[in-house]
Amino acid sequence: MTSTGSSSSVATETRSASVDIVVGVTSYNDAATVGAVVAAVRDGLARHFAGAASRVVLADCGSSDGSPARARDSLRGTAEILEVPSPPTTDRLEMPYHRMPGKARALRGILATAQSLDARACVVLDAGIETVTPQWVHWLIDPVLTHGFDLVAPLYRRHPYEGALTKGIVYPMFRALYGVRLRQPITGEFACSSRLLGHFLDENVWDRDGAHAGIDLWLASSAASGDFRIGEAALGVRHHHAHADETLDLGTLVTQVIGSLFADLENRVERWQRVRSSVAVQPFGELATGNSLQPVSVDPEKLIESYRLGYRELRDIWTWVLPPRTILDLRRLMNGPGASFRLDDSLWATIVYDFALGYRLRVIAREHLLRSLVPLYLAWLASFIVEIRDRGEEDVEQRLERLCAAFEEQKPYLISKWRWPERVRT
Amino acid sequence: MVEGIQRALSIAGTRIVDGIANFLPGALVLLLLLTASLIVAVIVRYAVFRALTGLDFDRRAEELGVSVAEWTPSRSASKLVASVTYWIILLIGLMLGFAALDAALPSRFATSVLEYLPHLVAAITIFVLGGLIARFLARAVLIEAVNMGIRSARLLSLAVKWVVLMVAAAMALDHIGIGRTALLLAFGIAFGGIVLATALAVGLGAKDMVSRSLERQMREPSPGDKLDHV
Repeated sequence: MTSTGSSSSVATETRSASVDIVVGVTSYNDAATVGAVVAAVRDGLARHFAGAASRVVLADCGSSDGSPARARDSLRGTAEILEVPSPPTTDRLEMPYHRMPGKARALRGILATAQSLDARACVVLDAGIETVTPQWVHWLIDPVLTHGFDLVAPLYRRHPYEGALTKGIVYPMFRALYGVRLRQPITGEFACSSRLLGHFLDENVWDRDGAHAGIDLWLASSAASGDFRIGEAALGVRHHHAHADETLDLGTLVTQVIGSLFADLENRVERWQRVRSSVAVQPFGELATGNSLQPVSVDPEKLIESYRLGYRELRDIWTWVLPPRTILDLRRLMNGPGASFRLDDSLWATIVYDFALGYRLRVIAREHLLRSLVPLYLAWLASFIVEIRDRGEEDVEQRLERLCAAFEEQKPYLISKWRWPERVRT
Repeated sequence: MVEGIQRALSIAGTRIVDGIANFLPGALVLLLLLTASLIVAVIVRYAVFRALTGLDFDRRAEELGVSVAEWTPSRSASKLVASVTYWIILLIGLMLGFAALDAALPSRFATSVLEYLPHLVAAITIFVLGGLIARFLARAVLIEAVNMGIRSARLLSLAVKWVVLMVAAAMALDHIGIGRTALLLAFGIAFGGIVLATALAVGLGAKDMVSRSLERQMREPSPGDKLDHV
């Protein structure tokens, strides 16, 4: 059994008793919110799983603001918190997009602790979230304990413009690749069964290059690639406690997130090349409706202008990755008026696939390749916003469904070029 | 007197014959070395070309940013490397031949060229590496500047490229000892001049524009940076 990251105190507990539920909380400088998160966990366990033995495990990634003490305080007098020690990490050299350096080790520590406690279900929550409620614990754990699901991922209610990288690239590509319609493949929150956590711990992802940013996605693709039952729990609104000084620029964000997605392709090639369609996942929980979402204002004209600048200056670099006909399509897009700015779904899908192929073949330095995708992504975002603004949530869902269908339709293009890379630029 | 003339002629004839006798083996060795080096050069050129073609060197060189299209009509990095190898072997053969000929001037020239060769190779390596680094950095700056929405992205990228190329060229020329002092002076003056000119231009001519631009950068993130994308 893998036991990396477990402390001696955990080992002592292991010998004393096994539990039904382990709730792991990952934290990094989240003193403002960790207390509320742990209290919500405590209340959720008491309210919905009173008869089940449970433990709360805190995996702090080296906070300097006393987050672990806040977490201990909020459970004082009711339960004891197990702590996975903070491992040394070099992630702080480049802060990952989830703002949690050493997250892979922290997660591994939580899962190893859950396994050592023989837990039937393990839930992981991010201590930086301000909107965690006791109901979250129920919606995440119940499908695992009651309905026999192996993975329960969250589904959040978000403004149509928010999470655009996930909506425009990660979700459609993940769905086309692995055949699972998991809306939020990248997330800091999930619940898993004992079978799946054993599988996770056996996976060769923890020490892989880029694990500091890619671990969330890689765990999701690991579950989607295996024979596991996957569900989705609607948790409502997710609002993360902001670290204003740690906001990443878009280039770095794209490099980390899309780099993780592309890197995973190489490791699961035998799986995704066999998948031909996608299936829906079982929904749980309730998506809140109404106007509780914070308004988001984005000017598509500025995004289009960024794309035009990118086309003028980066076209030569794109020709290394994209075939001539795509470059022609992009030129037409550049010259079109802003009000009717549309990036065709099939074109966008092939662009993303060509970048994945370019990443695999290292046609240029990978970081350059990923960063040069930013203006194209902004073009897609502008096109998406122009199309869906003033539309209802239902219309946005339909629009995303059409995009995902295009990614699935274009998948043979990816497979063909993956197998015969000499055709990449033709 | 006739005897004297005959003796002089005999001595001159003997000298000529001796000279030819002394020269012939060297010339034969020169010929032999040239022929051998020609055969070796042809074989090596073929082997190098085949090996580089097998390694898909042309494509890799293009990926690394080493564009040879402007340097050779063949438009092939493999052919260029093979040809350079061919001529280097021929040149070495010629130098060795001159040494075997024992001709004082060509021999000294050959020795000095052979002594100079490692410096030349090192200088070429420095320059090629400098070229690669320049292209890499120029591309990185171009992409980053575009993502930051800087309209003069291409200009910035070119500036970085030429500064790195200038440093590489100065280092390479310094290594082979060409105009060392003049070169260092020229480089110092040119580089310092560029920095000073930029500082003056920014400080006097474009300070308002720079201040507005910096203010905008500090206040407003690049388009798209305000959203939660993940």
